[in-house]
Amino acid sequence: MRTPLVEMRDISIAFGGIKAVDAVTVDLHAGEVVALLGHNGAGKSTLIKVLSGAYRADAGEIRVRGEAADIFTPRDAKKYGIETIYQTLALADNVDAAANIFLGRELVTRWGTLDDVAMESEARKVMGRLNPHFRRFKEPVRALSGGQRQSVAIARAIHFDAKILIMDEPTAALGPAETKQVGDLVKQLKTQGIGIFLISHDIHDVFDLADRISVMKNGRLVGSARCTDLTKDEALGMIIMGKCPPGAVPGPGANAA
Amino acid sequence: MQRRHLLAAGLGAGVLATPGILRAQGRGPVIGVSWSNFQEERWKTDEAAIQAAIRAAGGTYLSADAQSSPAKQLTDIESLMARGVKALIVLAQDAQAIRPGVERAVNEGVAVVGYDRLIEIPQAFYLTFDNVEVGRMMARSVLAAKPEGNYVFIKGSGADPNANFLFQGSMEILKPHIDAGRIRNVGEAFTDGWLPANAQRNMEQFLTRNNNRVDAVIAANDGTAGGAIAALAAQGMAGSVPVSGQDADRAALNRVALGTQTVSIWKDARELGRTAAEVAIRLAGGARLAEIPNSQQRSQGAGRPTMTARFLTPVPVTRDNLAVVIDAGWAPRASICQGVPAGRAPACG
Amino acid sequence: MSVATGGAPAAARPTFRALEIDPRLLGMLVALGVIWVGFDLLSGGAFLTPRNLWNLSVQTSSIAVMACGMVLVIVTRNIDLSVGAILGVTGMLIGVLQARLLPEILGLEHPATWMIAVTAAIVIGATIGLFQGALIAYLAIPSFIVTLGGLLIWRGAAWWVTQGQTVAPMDGRFRPLGGGIDGAIGATASWIIGGLACAAILTALFATRARRVRFGFHVRPAWAEAVIAVLACGAVIGAVLIANAYPLPVGIVRRLAEAQGIAWPPGGIFIAHGLAVPVLIAIGVGIAMTVLATRTRFGRYVFAIGGNPEAAELSGVNTRRTLMLVFGLMGALCGIAACISTARLNAATNAAGSLDELYVIAAAVIGGTSLAGGAGTIAGAMLGALVMQSLQSGMVLLGVDAPLQNIVVGLVLVSAVWADTVYRRGIK
Repeated sequence: MRTPLVEMRDISIAFGGIKAVDAVTVDLHAGEVVALLGHNGAGKSTLIKVLSGAYRADAGEIRVRGEAADIFTPRDAKKYGIETIYQTLALADNVDAAANIFLGRELVTRWGTLDDVAMESEARKVMGRLNPHFRRFKEPVRALSGGQRQSVAIARAIHFDAKILIMDEPTAALGPAETKQVGDLVKQLKTQGIGIFLISHDIHDVFDLADRISVMKNGRLVGSARCTDLTKDEALGMIIMGKCPPGAVPGPGANAA
Repeated sequence: MQRRHLLAAGLGAGVLATPGILRAQGRGPVIGVSWSNFQEERWKTDEAAIQAAIRAAGGTYLSADAQSSPAKQLTDIESLMARGVKALIVLAQDAQAIRPGVERAVNEGVAVVGYDRLIEIPQAFYLTFDNVEVGRMMARSVLAAKPEGNYVFIKGSGADPNANFLFQGSMEILKPHIDAGRIRNVGEAFTDGWLPANAQRNMEQFLTRNNNRVDAVIAANDGTAGGAIAALAAQGMAGSVPVSGQDADRAALNRVALGTQTVSIWKDARELGRTAAEVAIRLAGGARLAEIPNSQQRSQGAGRPTMTARFLTPVPVTRDNLAVVIDAGWAPRASICQGVPAGRAPACG
Repeated sequence: MSVATGGAPAAARPTFRALEIDPRLLGMLVALGVIWVGFDLLSGGAFLTPRNLWNLSVQTSSIAVMACGMVLVIVTRNIDLSVGAILGVTGMLIGVLQARLLPEILGLEHPATWMIAVTAAIVIGATIGLFQGALIAYLAIPSFIVTLGGLLIWRGAAWWVTQGQTVAPMDGRFRPLGGGIDGAIGATASWIIGGLACAAILTALFATRARRVRFGFHVRPAWAEAVIAVLACGAVIGAVLIANAYPLPVGIVRRLAEAQGIAWPPGGIFIAHGLAVPVLIAIGVGIAMTVLATRTRFGRYVFAIGGNPEAAELSGVNTRRTLMLVFGLMGALCGIAACISTARLNAATNAAGSLDELYVIAAAVIGGTSLAGGAGTIAGAMLGALVMQSLQSGMVLLGVDAPLQNIVVGLVLVSAVWADTVYRRGIK
């Protein structure tokens, strides 16, 4: 049993008395895609924000490559090689693509000033891999289309040697061609040994891309399973009713059915 | 988290530390003073004098600061009356806007002393240094130094009626000379908010417009005089162009000793404050307006109400009579004479 | 894999577009030109004289310095209403320091007095700014409220320093910071500075171009670079020429000649003022702030926070510390402005800086800073300050009285923001 790339054990976090995440345990291995499923407000985004450093858990621990990890800020998460593509993309609209990709991690010249030219060059390389037709490097990001903005957010995540990638609803605002592009990217990253947490509403996408799923309901884990061990309908049953099918390992949130 | 708590504690301590002001409680009458603002340095001197005189008579001193807002001053008057004052001393921020407040006070039997600035209601006593006379004194001093040439008028704030009285007084003295062509008015402007920086800028523009051909400046007070003199200094003209001022503040007295300012009209604020307190106490004790000693009936012009008023005499302070302010304890010799070379002013040696 | 996908060379035919000048900056320069020429015609040629332009530049300095800081504050979606009050209290404190405290310790006219005063001003201003910034960033109190409170508190404190007394005069070596006869550097020094500035501009243009060529990026056509270089250097040389055309007053020159034993020739002696010290300070601050805003990580973070504070936070930017530093920087610039305005008046008054916050905010906004945050340039703000001061000084020259001046300035402010809004909508 190889050591998981990431383990989140018994993570709990509450906001003002409401338990957004209640003792959830998930893990991720290198080269695999684990999808987090659940209805709106189930706590998936919140759980993942604990991993990305945006929130700090009230209880529970995170282990990266078997060792305890202290992740209190987004910078801490990036140190462990955890990169995130947020649902809202988290781009600064008033600066250009290169500035966004390097935000917080700018390249500097030997005098300490921003090396805009080098950053633009790197940005062109990484955007070229994702979106070869993209030209508008000097314009503020607010002028770009939804798909282009998505590319910038993905570029930011993959440029810095991510080992663990979190993708929160990556295809929600995309058309079919772009969705396929994202799918291809995910498969490519898997072969490079990167572990991916995927949050998605689209059950077909999930079964297409993911190796395992974990389902949450009302902040608690309903259960986890390999995609090959259950059908889409059973997965839907887990999401909607909290009913854990035989192919899945039940969690604390499973209904005793 | 810790930083947050420290900061919040700091804020809290600041709030609690704001001191409450204890007022001397006497068994005499309660006198209220409504101030317009304390921006010019002289008003604190007035306040100290009024307070001392009231306490000496065994009365109680209450006050409110309108912070340059006419509207707030009306509220201040109401709240002073609610606290049971027998007499009000009012330094009006705006002479027109203050009328409803003063009328109410008069109708409710509270005596009112209009302090330094005219409140044209006959039932209110008017106590001031004769501001028109101040304007005349300024013009006389500057005229004596420069009987002919181009004059610039740096007036006070357009919203202050005293600024107009000053200008009126100066013009009275200068008009015959202007009509005879000996004096030309080459620049005239109000100074927004009496701010010295505005006076400096206006003076710079007048100098530019007239290519430095300015021979004298009538400035409405020491603050604006300072600004005008700074503009003159940038052209190397400070000391060769007579400049007038008013209030006898320390910086101005120093300039008078140095020779960059010709005159500052001294209105002993202590005398004004003391007299105001005495008049207020008398009126609070039931005296009628006409019974106030040294008062006279005066109206500002035909058709205007006749006021019962007392005019104190201002003193023009020039280089030659600086001893007057030193001997009266108004300002110390050290600050007046700082940096003054020997022999420049008699009072400095 | 081809990298220079956007690197196709520009059309060989010379077009205005190829110059790549920010249209808003251009618009401001045009507006300034219109105002200047207009006032010159109306005043019978008195406005566009070396003397008036020199005065104008000195009158603008204090507001221009503060406007540089206000740009960053507004970019982060905040506001600072207390800048005038900070200027006031800082001015009073350094006035007392120079005129009362230091003479007792060091004696009158000590060579170090002015340096201590300037350092004190920056430290006091920065401390007040950092304190307000901490309340805004760490206690999450809205900046409008904190700085509104600051406006009242520091104005009151300014009065408290000397119970309202004006403090004068200032130290002899401090006074040049405010302009005037001593506050000008003379013809030779002005030419040296002008030459250095031109050299710096040319070096910067050249270096940027070389770097971009090395990476294979799009560059302006060579003729366009040459035009920009000529215009920029031309502006610098023009400014030096104007400053050098403004002579010292006859009386002063005569005294200098007598002191040096030089005979007075019939035509008189022409000694130029040269560039004014406060103007050099303002330009220096402007350049430093532009570098800070566009070429450092701090500046990048300021703009990112303005664009999307959450994104900045998630990218690992310490948004709260950056915000606190922005207000600290604003306070330090108020300290510098306090030095300039106190030196100019040669007195510290408790009312100094009254209403300055409105002019500073107006300058930044006229200069293209969006109140919604995320956009703004330092150069624009300084031009905005120049536009407003030109209006006010020009109107005094024409004899227009204060209330009408205020009306005109207000109308110009609203029109400028409206024009900016229309422009932004147009480019979407």
